[in-house]
Amino acid sequence: MLGKLMKYEWKATWKLLLSANLLTVVMTGLARWMVYLMDKAPYSSDFQMVDFVAVMVLFTYVASMFAVYVGTAIYLIHRFYTSTYGDQGYLLHTLPVDTHHIIIAKVLVSVLWVMMNSLIIYFSVIFLFATSTETIKSMMDGLVSTIEYLGSEEISVFMVIMTFIAYIFTLFAKVLKVGACISLGQLSSNHKLMLSFAWYIGIYIVESMFQGMYFAISSTIYRQASSIDYLTGFGTNWETTLISGIFSCVIFYILTWYVMDRKLNLD
Amino acid sequence: MAPVVQCMGLTKTYGRKIALNQVYLNLERGRIIGLLGPNGSGKTTLIKIMNGLLKPTAGEVLINGQRPGIDTKLRISYLPERTYLQPGMKVLELVQYFQDFYPDFRVDRAFDMLARLQIPPQERLKNLSKGTKEKVQLIMVMSRDADLYILDEPIAGVDPAARDYILHTIVNNYNRCGSILLSTHLISDVENILDEVVFIKYGSIVLQAGAEQIRQNERKSVDQFFREVFAC
Repeated sequence: MLGKLMKYEWKATWKLLLSANLLTVVMTGLARWMVYLMDKAPYSSDFQMVDFVAVMVLFTYVASMFAVYVGTAIYLIHRFYTSTYGDQGYLLHTLPVDTHHIIIAKVLVSVLWVMMNSLIIYFSVIFLFATSTETIKSMMDGLVSTIEYLGSEEISVFMVIMTFIAYIFTLFAKVLKVGACISLGQLSSNHKLMLSFAWYIGIYIVESMFQGMYFAISSTIYRQASSIDYLTGFGTNWETTLISGIFSCVIFYILTWYVMDRKLNLD
Repeated sequence: MAPVVQCMGLTKTYGRKIALNQVYLNLERGRIIGLLGPNGSGKTTLIKIMNGLLKPTAGEVLINGQRPGIDTKLRISYLPERTYLQPGMKVLELVQYFQDFYPDFRVDRAFDMLARLQIPPQERLKNLSKGTKEKVQLIMVMSRDADLYILDEPIAGVDPAARDYILHTIVNNYNRCGSILLSTHLISDVENILDEVVFIKYGSIVLQAGAEQIRQNERKSVDQFFREVFAC
């Protein structure tokens, strides 16, 4: 049944989200063309028409990237809420399927969309600025040295793979956190949405406290994390990210399952 | 054979408000049963608990001898009081959806009923009127060979002609070995198809009897008797 649930979850979301991603691709093409035109235009100290159009297109490009990324997140949250605890939940929860399958199908499809979004935006930026092989090489060198600086160690294939796995778990944890907060909001008879927000804020505060404690302890014991690291959150390594990602996934999954399976309360 | 539904001391409270109060009820197979009561009497709460959409505060409900779960959902065909369809779906996709999830779904029966109502399978649900959407939903529910059909207010909010169609569809398409639990407060419209009635008031069952038995013993229609019992 998991496959069928995923099929219908995909079918319900693909049209809008694929259109949004296509918009990103189109805007990237336009922006890239503008960069090309600006490169080719003869140098002039005056602000010309082509500069004005290029600035407008680049501004729209950045705005559309942001809108698509945020819009996808909002759409997926709305979809989770309406299809699980809204009117459509009456059909979903009377299907002869396991609650685990419902959660897994929704989370997997959501993560897939967020990943696709991130990848398209990532490649879009590379495509926009990579005007020559030298530019690509210098961009890659910059990326490698940044990672080395943040990790304070030499980059290895193992580290890249583990960082990617840690990123995937973090992504799952973020999606599951939203699902858990929406589910916990359902425990109230009234103001369910407001309670969901309250849960989100509460969990965010607790997470921040744990993060703060981690940096305080690690900076005291190992003298590794600087105050800048603490503020930006860059002091984490892949091991910490992976462990906290897995831990968060387990906690948020259990909370979502508990409410959906044991405390379902469709008004 | 065990009753299709057994409620044992079923209680549901919302804070201080009691929605269901110690409900004991057995529903037998092969019968059309009316769950009758005024608005707010606990009909929908009882139905939601049977479908596993609400958890009881106390007591237990068994469907075919089992607690609500995957096995009972395989045997119950439920029509809620609201539209649960995805607006972007086509009617055909909805048929495929039901076929995918319910092994007892009869595609030929669904298409036959859709054709009789002249509902094009390629039409999107968002383009249908509210009444047609309700009919599509009813067609999906009645196209299953279930042990128990639970229909929550299927004729509320529709015109008299549509009511006739809905009742006709229910009576002609259900699995004869199964039972229908039909919740409504519009007694006169459904009286003639009911074998049995259950009166519910303030979350408690006040009467369970055969429809014919009421007519003979009370010398009045079920609708008249209902008005007497629930007079304000």
